[in-house]
Amino acid sequence: MSSRVLTDFDLLLPGSLEEALEILDRERGAVTVLSGGTDLLVMMKAGFEADKVMSLALLGDLNRLEFDSATGLRIGARTTLAQLVDSPEVRQHYPALWQSARIFATPQLRNTATVVGNLLRGSPAGDCSAAVAALGGTLVMATAGGGRREIDIDDLWVSYGVTARADNELAVELRLPAPDSGTASAFKRLTRVNEDLAKLNVAVCLQMDGDTCKSARFAMGCVAPTMIRLPAAEAIVQGAKVDDETLARAAEAVQQDISPIDDKRSTAEYRRSVAGVYLKRAVQQACGFA
Amino acid sequence: MSKHMITLNVNGEDHDIVVASNKTLLEVLREQLNMPDTKYGCGTGECGACSVLLEDNSAINSCLTLAATMDGKKITTASGLEKGDKLHPVQQAFIDHAAVQCGFCTPGMVVKSVSLLAKNPRPTEQEIREGLEGSICRCTGYVKIVNAVEAASKAMAGTAG
Repeated sequence: MSSRVLTDFDLLLPGSLEEALEILDRERGAVTVLSGGTDLLVMMKAGFEADKVMSLALLGDLNRLEFDSATGLRIGARTTLAQLVDSPEVRQHYPALWQSARIFATPQLRNTATVVGNLLRGSPAGDCSAAVAALGGTLVMATAGGGRREIDIDDLWVSYGVTARADNELAVELRLPAPDSGTASAFKRLTRVNEDLAKLNVAVCLQMDGDTCKSARFAMGCVAPTMIRLPAAEAIVQGAKVDDETLARAAEAVQQDISPIDDKRSTAEYRRSVAGVYLKRAVQQACGFA
Repeated sequence: MSKHMITLNVNGEDHDIVVASNKTLLEVLREQLNMPDTKYGCGTGECGACSVLLEDNSAINSCLTLAATMDGKKITTASGLEKGDKLHPVQQAFIDHAAVQCGFCTPGMVVKSVSLLAKNPRPTEQEIREGLEGSICRCTGYVKIVNAVEAASKAMAGTAG
């Protein structure tokens, strides 16, 4: 039908988590994990070689989405973007994540693509990766024999397309902290049309005490080899009154945090000129004074 | 290459088939089951021509779905939407509003429209446009498609009550 065909591979379809973990333990890096497949199958059609692919399709109990006001949000490894969009609790308590999910790719991709898959793709352009990086959280990794470890989202992305996941580990759950009454968050993305990958995306999460920011986490995508935090901009906003002057200084400080390049979606020059503006607008959106 | 025995229900009919691990749902529909109503557009999940419905009326890209992972699933393609010889209201509206030119995107566009209306029976124009994101039409400019979905929404509200 087309040159975009999948070359031969063996497909493994474990029926339980323990079976999946045993396969990973046995095969190590020789098996590629397939969840929603919206990235991996496209890459395989473009020439990425995978001899053995393990699909998580039969692991139905990994698609949970549970919110608890004391412990926060638990997102299973198979939970789709569409599930987030349909969740009133995500919309209310995690605006940055909900906003990123609502405009993520296209409706039919949202029905298949998973949140955890977006994180593990390790792309600097991932929309919900930006939101999760700003909200903070941990990814729970499982290994055969009952082993568990948690990777802080700040430690997940090592370099372009490379994560801290070991090859015998399976990500089973993403945990986001519970927000309190002073938590404000937002996500913004710059694209030509909605279906596009971002030219630039940004997510912010601030702990506010009245007009003053107690602490802030800012994340920006498409401006470095991985999704990054913006420590220079965060330092300016933390402890300060969030007003036009603070935001202008934070927008200026972003230049120290980013290292954008030219690619087919945008240029380094353009990204540098909009980065501060988008950070400022995201904070304004989060704090409700647009 | 591994082979997988699956039972796939397409448009109400069970098919017990053996599929190769690297075959997408789209390839199995078109080449193995000889059901060419679902179209191959881009093959990379961007154009929406291959959209099919799952049991809960959510649309997926069949070009990015491995057939072997669909054992026991029920799917509906564009040609499964009609009841007897009566077209689905969305199909009828596409004809009535000339929302078809070359027709290649139409099966996917109809499937996506049915999915949208199942979730949101009275969408605004903006919601229709957002709901049809990911389905690309290079002929119509979308206006007639949006008009058709609006008309189908009204027709379906009429039949429902």
